Amino acid sequence: MIKNYLKIAWRNLFKNRGYTLINISGLAVGVCCFILIALYVKNEFSYDRFHSNSDNIYRVWQYENYGPKEEFVNTTTPISMVNVLKNNYPEIEDGSRVYRFNALVKKSDSEFNEEIRGVDPSFFQIFDFELIEGNTSAPFSSANSIILSESSAKKYFGEEDPIGKSLSVEFDEEIKFFEVAAIAANPPQESSIQFDMLVSLENEALFFSERARESWFNVVVESYLLLKPNQSAAQLEAKFPTIIKQYLGDNYEEGTFFLHLQPMTEIHLDPSLPPGLEPISNPKYAYVMGTIGFLILLLACINFVTLAVGRSFSRATEVGVRKALGAFRKQIVHQFWGEALLITLMAVSLGIFLALLFQETFNSLTGKLLYIDFDLSFWLITLGLVVFIALIAGIYPSIVLSKYNPIEVLRSRMVKGASMGLFGKSLVITQFVASIVMLIGTLMIGRQIDFLVSKDLGYQKDAIVVVPTNMSGEEADAFAELYVAELKKQPEVAEASWSILSFAENGWVNAGFTDKKNTYREFAVNIVNPGFLQTHNIQITEGRDFIIGNASDAQNGVLVNETFVKRFGLENPIGKPYDKFDIKILGVMKDFNFESLNNNIEPLLLTINLDPIFKHTENVELQHTTQPRVSVRLEAQNMTASIATLKNIWEKTNPGQEFEYSFLDEALSAQYQNELRSKSVVNIASILAIFIACMGLFGLATLTVARRKAEIGIRKVMGATITDIVGMISKDFIKLVLIATLFAFPIAWWVMDQWLQGFAYSVGISWWTFVLVGIIVVGIALVTVSFQSIKASMTNPVKSLRTE
Amino acid sequence: MLLELNNIFKWVQQGGQRVFLLKDINLEVEEGEFISIMGPSGSGKSTLLNVMGMLDTFDEGEYNFLDEPVHQLREKHRANLYKQYIGFVFQAYHLIDELTVYENLEMPLLYKKISGSERKAMVADMLDRFNIVGKKDLFPAQLSGGQQQLVGVARALISKPKLILADEPTGNLNSKQGEDIMELFKQLNSEGVTIIQVTHSEKNAEYGKRTINLLDGRMI
Repeated sequence: MIKNYLKIAWRNLFKNRGYTLINISGLAVGVCCFILIALYVKNEFSYDRFHSNSDNIYRVWQYENYGPKEEFVNTTTPISMVNVLKNNYPEIEDGSRVYRFNALVKKSDSEFNEEIRGVDPSFFQIFDFELIEGNTSAPFSSANSIILSESSAKKYFGEEDPIGKSLSVEFDEEIKFFEVAAIAANPPQESSIQFDMLVSLENEALFFSERARESWFNVVVESYLLLKPNQSAAQLEAKFPTIIKQYLGDNYEEGTFFLHLQPMTEIHLDPSLPPGLEPISNPKYAYVMGTIGFLILLLACINFVTLAVGRSFSRATEVGVRKALGAFRKQIVHQFWGEALLITLMAVSLGIFLALLFQETFNSLTGKLLYIDFDLSFWLITLGLVVFIALIAGIYPSIVLSKYNPIEVLRSRMVKGASMGLFGKSLVITQFVASIVMLIGTLMIGRQIDFLVSKDLGYQKDAIVVVPTNMSGEEADAFAELYVAELKKQPEVAEASWSILSFAENGWVNAGFTDKKNTYREFAVNIVNPGFLQTHNIQITEGRDFIIGNASDAQNGVLVNETFVKRFGLENPIGKPYDKFDIKILGVMKDFNFESLNNNIEPLLLTINLDPIFKHTENVELQHTTQPRVSVRLEAQNMTASIATLKNIWEKTNPGQEFEYSFLDEALSAQYQNELRSKSVVNIASILAIFIACMGLFGLATLTVARRKAEIGIRKVMGATITDIVGMISKDFIKLVLIATLFAFPIAWWVMDQWLQGFAYSVGISWWTFVLVGIIVVGIALVTVSFQSIKASMTNPVKSLRTE
Repeated sequence: MLLELNNIFKWVQQGGQRVFLLKDINLEVEEGEFISIMGPSGSGKSTLLNVMGMLDTFDEGEYNFLDEPVHQLREKHRANLYKQYIGFVFQAYHLIDELTVYENLEMPLLYKKISGSERKAMVADMLDRFNIVGKKDLFPAQLSGGQQQLVGVARALISKPKLILADEPTGNLNSKQGEDIMELFKQLNSEGVTIIQVTHSEKNAEYGKRTINLLDGRMI
């Protein structure tokens, strides 16, 4: 019997190659998307679970509250925190800090600017990072041991054995020598702690000044604690206030300073806390992706159902004969379910193959490195997928088909029913609702990104090249000065200047202080040299720019932006100092967006000399390493030649160091990477959704036309023209699409409204996007349907009306 | 003269050979005639009817309808011609299941862009004439075969054609119903409508004033 079923199934699939192709390819695309997206979602939710202690590891975070608008949440903590806690609470088994700093690492001829992590020696006992070579039992045997990841070992030593070799590390203007003690496997991608090079923080004095080490208000390191088994983090948290009181001493104020513990496994997907050293993800993205994957799979399943139901026409006689020959209804159900399973298996195999084919593309979209792992869990998921699809796809046809009454079917040869009932209609509507929402999303996201990238930021960003010096200290300043001076002599260079942070860095230095009226205020600061405004064509609305070579400007002259004046209520600020600061406001700059457009313009102060500012600031927040960065405005001609000039002069003025550069406009677009990724994912998803929905529509149109063949014939004989027939068939489908838009528009509106709220500057939702999408979708549906309806209307009615 | 067929040939290619469906058909039909076409199954009766109704094409020969050379006309022109002058009656009635009797009758008028009020009058007239006013809101499935065919004939007549082509109009009916339809045809013919019917039954053929016999696509 099974053989007979298989034979029939196979022949049927082969006979209706068109349907089979639509069915299998549609499902396969759905499966492919689902697998890739499942990989992404699984990755997002599996962060930090590879540590055997992961359930007992916590990260310390602190909450400070000094009144409204003066709340601070930090996931980095003071340097001494781990040791203080460890020494006071027996519940804590161990703890390690993670500190990130930039340094220039040299090995004889090659040197690179590296981000190094400083950790405590117990790092490898707490976490399960694998040591693969060298001293694996006590990797930090001395204070100048350095541990390299596999990839950085390869970068510096190639095929050589690196163990015991020496590297010079230059930071804080000092050069220190480290000896490679061990090699660690590259940290897994699903880790909230990443590293290329590790050094021990045991000798704190090497890294931190004494003041920094003792300060409880200077947040620098991530603090991880390993609790003893069966210790409750909540109970431990409750004990912290006593310690805080004890260590803050005179600075203690009731209800202002709190310490909390965050389970390590929650770090990656908890956007309510700020990221520590590594970026975190908003689980929103994982949910959105998951929803998209599931939707596409569902759309493909819906196709299967509609097509199978429609095809039941041609299968009715077979069902009739089988029943007449004694088949039970159950057997018929089994047969159709078997067919669904067969198609599903083919589709899933093809889907897996497609997923393998497209995993690289997907990785470039998501910025991750995800690969299909053919392990047990994969096969379990696949099995689940097969069962799920076969169930969904097989249930309706098998029930509908098995219901046929053999006598009716066999006598009349024409089957009633199997028309597009309410069920079929709602399926098509569902498909189009999903497609329309995604399409609107695509257009809106695209427009928002265009807007962000092309908005007038208030400064010139085109034809500007940023060259980081990758040096620090006075030597760096001197070099930057020299380099700028040399560049200005070149005909290709319109203007050049340097600053500690350029526009390519999103987020400048944030400084906080308490003013004379005891209000806490924050503003952004950048250290620039006098040509900065000219290089970027920033306008002065009041007062004047810095004057090159003016000693008093260099001593305490500053420029502020309009927001600074407004927010802090300054009146006639030119020539005056501000609050406690011993500065002189030289000019007011027209507001410009120095941060990405996700943020509003904040008060900003530009200075040549930082000392008068820092003297009175209490909080300084840095998001990027500080180093002189040279911004060069080129005469817009031959960019490649101009870059060659920049490189030439670099090599003359600073031999031996690598020349790096970036175009400012490109660097700025990179700020919108998340948005660009969502755009490409939603783009592809919406194309697929439309494609799948149209395949379904095409199938349905085919079936409708088949069902109404006689009717079309009659109408033609009665004088209907091709236009009449096409109009008649299309009308029904267009109606469905229009109903779908009614559902889809409010949903899309809501979704896009939510998304746009994440931006300080947005294009807003425009009605014409909706109209445009409506027209596009109706157009696509019309074209899809008209393939069939035109064909039907061209058929000679004699053929469809023949009664023999 | 209503129509004229001269040396009509129609064939299909089957396995490299021509199989003739119609072979050298010559026929003249005057207005007001009632013609029966007879012959065994497969002799080409329906094909000939379809050719005359311009639903099917032919491969060779000339066909003039009301002095218009049909073989030279474009598809659209031809469609206009048969829309205006020819009505069809089928063996299987071919009413549209989803439409009521009223709507079925109205359908051909829709395709002729006749105004709403005029359509209403024409349908009402037809319902009245065939005594089916009471059935106008029923669907075909609710009628007997005879009644369905009655609607079929009414639909064929509604656009006031000069010629009615009927392909075994009584084939699916019992003898009483068949007789009614034939009587109706006779009456229509006496009112001036030209009728050409295909039939298997000698008795029905006798309603015609002339009988054409076909065998293997040839007139005998």
